[in-house]
Amino acid sequence: MDIDWRKEYTRDGHRVSLAGSPIIMHCHHFNINLQTMAEETLGMEGANLMVCAAEQASANGLRIILDRYPQIRTVKSKIELAETLHQICGLGLLNFRQVGPRRSRVESLSSHHVTGWLAKHGRRFTPGCHFTRGWIAGILSVLYEREYEVEETACKLVKGKVCKFVATERNHGD
Amino acid sequence: MAIDGARIVRAVMQGSATRDSKGIIPIFGVYLSLNYAAYYNMLSFEFERILRPKPQVRAVELLIRAAQECSYATFHGIRTSSEWDELVRPMIETETDQIEAFAAIAVALGWGDLKIKEIVPHERLVIQAMSGYEADGYLQNYGKADSGKCFMLCGVTAGFMDLMYGPDYPDGCFTYRAQEKHCRAQGDPCCEFVAVKRIRES
Repeated sequence: MDIDWRKEYTRDGHRVSLAGSPIIMHCHHFNINLQTMAEETLGMEGANLMVCAAEQASANGLRIILDRYPQIRTVKSKIELAETLHQICGLGLLNFRQVGPRRSRVESLSSHHVTGWLAKHGRRFTPGCHFTRGWIAGILSVLYEREYEVEETACKLVKGKVCKFVATERNHGD
Repeated sequence: MAIDGARIVRAVMQGSATRDSKGIIPIFGVYLSLNYAAYYNMLSFEFERILRPKPQVRAVELLIRAAQECSYATFHGIRTSSEWDELVRPMIETETDQIEAFAAIAVALGWGDLKIKEIVPHERLVIQAMSGYEADGYLQNYGKADSGKCFMLCGVTAGFMDLMYGPDYPDGCFTYRAQEKHCRAQGDPCCEFVAVKRIRES
């Protein structure tokens, strides 16, 4: 199923939408400033707030697209859609390596938030892709109608060439 | 030549539809993302709500500062970009045209239908928005507010003045401060932001 993203990326006056959902264009300065503010002020609670906001937004966004394209039915095609959507939004490259209802592995070779953080602050000592964790959790919640915890097991902001995420069903652990 | 907002909108829509091989959108000297309005609104409004029981932490001030620093860095990147040189600079004839161009870019980015109500060079900038995404989002999800909720547009207004009339980049940020005098989320007919020079404590 091919989606014509150029047709799905529209505007009515100042309002911009992507596949039926209102979107806003913001650059890395704002996105990273919000993260810094949330982390510095609220610590772990701030990181979790980012996760939660991204989770709800990506889940709602994907649900709206799937409603518009009911012919996208299989898990495989929904995952392809999610990976494409992430890229269309300029959020980077996301690869769902292994996907299942209990546990999934996802990798990111590049991301808006990593690129933006490195440009503004350089490396950090702890994983920092809270937005991506939430985004992945939201997508998986739509795929399987369950809730997920997403842990970042490797982060380019700390070291390495790829960010790695492990998603597990909430309340199920391993 | 007046600022041609329609041309700026077309350029932003075209540029924001082009990704590099890493799925990143480099445009106007910044990395752009297209993100759901609901994400930003939940993050901002819940941040404020969580901190409400802790009045010693001024959540609104932090949110506005985050936006002001963003506005300062973003629009500095924009006005030193090749896209600005090619598209916008030829439209600028007067000092205040630059602020009009900033506002036109903000409209193109989907932030709201910003209109410049008043510019007093070096002193004061008043921007109005009949439909910003923050007031829309607050009304939709929380109902009527008891205070202004357009933290991003408020900080952006001050950032414009910092760039125009503050010390040279990067030393001018927070030279100005802005307040949201009216907000649709509170029931006002439009949102209005007023930026004036900050009185520094010695």
